[in-house]
This record gives sequence, structure tokens and C-alpha cells, in this order.
Amino acid sequence: MTTDITPFETEMNRGFLQVLVLVLLERKMYGYSIVKNLEKKGYLIEENTLYPLLRRLEKKGLIQSQWDVSEKRPRKFYVITKKGQDIRRQLLGIWQRQDEILTHVLEENKNA
Amino acid sequence: MHEKLKKYLGEISHYLAAVSEKEEILTEIKSHILEKTEQEFGEINEEAIDKVIDTYGCPREVAEKYTEGFEIIAPSFKGHLLRYTGVLFALHFSLTLLSFIFKTSFFVLPFFYIPKIDSFQELFYVPMSFVYDLGLVGLILYFVTQSRKDVRLPWINLKINWLKITKKRQAQSRVIPFILMLLGYAALVWIYLRFNTLFFKTINLQKAESLLTPAASQWYSSALLALLGIGLAGYGIKFLYTSEWVNLLRSGFQLVILGIVINKPIETPFIKFPFLDLPLIANIILTVILVWVAIDFLKSLLILGRKAFFKKPSQKNSSIGR
Repeated sequence: MTTDITPFETEMNRGFLQVLVLVLLERKMYGYSIVKNLEKKGYLIEENTLYPLLRRLEKKGLIQSQWDVSEKRPRKFYVITKKGQDIRRQLLGIWQRQDEILTHVLEENKNA
Repeated sequence: MHEKLKKYLGEISHYLAAVSEKEEILTEIKSHILEKTEQEFGEINEEAIDKVIDTYGCPREVAEKYTEGFEIIAPSFKGHLLRYTGVLFALHFSLTLLSFIFKTSFFVLPFFYIPKIDSFQELFYVPMSFVYDLGLVGLILYFVTQSRKDVRLPWINLKINWLKITKKRQAQSRVIPFILMLLGYAALVWIYLRFNTLFFKTINLQKAESLLTPAASQWYSSALLALLGIGLAGYGIKFLYTSEWVNLLRSGFQLVILGIVINKPIETPFIKFPFLDLPLIANIILTVILVWVAIDFLKSLLILGRKAFFKKPSQKNSSIGR
């Protein structure tokens, strides 16, 4: 019997996706380009998850958006803010420490 | 706009009714769908849009992603919703019964007003009062949730779980009691047909004398048979169909019978009997039965309510990046 990993993966992805988007939005991008960019990197993201996340990050002041109507089709571009950069730096620090702890524990287990 | 996209956005809009940024959200979704359609299918047509919409998700699910964290009642208070409603409804129901028995109106302003009503109106009043209690508790919990304060709502943790759904007994172990009850019931019916009463002055049936006047004998004996018959039918139905609904209906019908009996008393029902105050004893017995059946009715109602409110959430389909 195999256990369905999806709920656990979804839970894990919640925080990861937030950091990933903050890293990605160092340069201006619009929704569809974020999806395609991540897809090329092997990370599939549901569009209906991305847009609410972008909205939440914008509400917290971590990113800002602007509609570009100069092209044939209007596109909403997002980019990280100063506050977002500060939060991202701290989150990456946490993630790094967590990674170190996990590696350390796994090493301990291996040597036990 | 393309018809399918218009319809899709219209459905999402319906679920986003309470969201202030609805229009902006819909514009974002529309822009994304058109962009994706053009990029992946080369042109924008109904068929291509339909395919892209399919991958975007069902309207309700899409809308819910924007309303996460905006619960009307916080998850930690959901248990209190039914508990408090149960307590309030029990109080409401008891006052309704008292008002019914004593044929008077009750009020505990501003929350309760129980008018003087008859048994038929009672049938409508009781479910209505449940909805009222649920709404009142829901409203209070809504304000508590919106205050976003760390509120610890009181609740007594009784050791006995009155609502615990006990393990269903094997049908086989219920057969003998059922047969015995059926025989007992048949005996009562026979006694009633033979003596026109079920209430005797003495236990010696050879000198059988009714405790009640002839009209009262017929009236109260029929009511007793109806009460027992409904109980027996409820027990019997459980062999074929096990559900709390059976208990609810059984006690509901029994309450109606009791209501009719209380509401239409017969003048001078008792014969003269030395030493004992028969009307008082009859009233006490009737009240005990009424409370017993009412508790049974409430218990079933709460069990069904708890099942309805705390259904296990269906596992949603999810994929990477949700």
C-alpha cells in the first residue's frame, strides 16, 4: 500500500512557494511568465494558487504590481519591494538554518 | 467577450460576491486565460479557451483560494457553535414545553419569547426556535471571530459524553427483546379490546374496574397504545434501516401524541378514588414521560446536527504548488 504524498507536499509547498516567488520577482514578471519560468525549472504551479499568493504578498507590501497596457494585451507586472527584499533575506536565512539542521540530523541517523 | 470565458468569470464572480477586489481579480484571471490561450494554442477561439479554463480549476475552488483566512466563524469556535446551540435550544425547548403544559406564555427578554400556542403551532415553533438559536449563537461567534482577540470560550468537559454514538448492537441481540415487546404490546391491545381500558382500579382482572370514566378510558388508553406502538415501530424499523433519523421521527411523533393528550384533557376523567390524588399523580407521570421523550428528541437532533456540521472534509485533488 502506497501512501498519498500530495497533502504533505501541499503543506510543504506553502512556505516554499512564497520564498520562491520573492526570489523570482527580483525582476519584473507577470503571472503567466512566472508559471512558465517555474515550469522550465521543473516546478509545476497551479495558476489558481499563484494569483491569490501574489495578491497576499502585495497586501503585505512585499511586492508591488502595475498593469502594463502598452502591449496588445494588458499584463499585470509584479516586482519585489524593499520590505519584500528584507523579508526574503530573513526567510532565506531561516531556510538555510533548517536545511543545516535537517542535514545534521540525517547524518546522525546515518552514523547511528 | 468570448462566451465560455464570460460564463466562467461570471461563475467565479458569484462566489466572490463578498470580496471587495472582485473586479480586479476577475481582470487578472481573464488576462491570464487569454494570454495562455494565445501562447499555447496560437490563436484565441472558444475551443482553446475551453481547454485553458479546464486547467484553471472549477469556479468555486478558484474563488475559495481568495477567501482563505476570512472565515465567518474561526475553526476553533466551530465546536462551540453546536454546543452552545444545543444548550440554548434545550433551554428554549424546555420553556416551550412548560408553556405548553401550563398553557401560558414565557419570556426571558431579549432572547426568549414563548407564546401560548397549541400542539399544531408547536410543531412549527420548535424547528423555528432551533434555527433562531443557531443564528443567535452563530452571530455571537461571528463577532468574536471578527474581533480577532484571543478569546477562550467556556465549556464544561463532562466525563460522560451524552452524544456519544454507541457501537451499534448486533441485530441478533435485539430480536428477543423485540419479540417480547411485540407480545407485550399484543397483550395490551387484547386487554384494551376486552375491557375497554388499560387503567385498572385493581390488578384482579376477574373483577376488572376502570380507574377512569368510560370516555377517558378510551381516550387515554388509545393514546398509550399509540405511544407504545410508535416506539415499537421505531425499534422494528431499525432492523431494516439504522439511522438516527428513525429515533428523531419516533420521538417526534410521540411528542405530537403527548401534545394532543395534554392539549385536549377530558373533564372529570377519574372515578372517585380514596386516599390518592389521582389527577396529581397522572400529571406527574405525564410530565415525566414528556420530559423523557423530549430529551430523546433533543439527543437525536443534536447527534444529527453534529454529524451534519462535522462531516469529514472531502479530500481535495491537489497537485504540486498548491
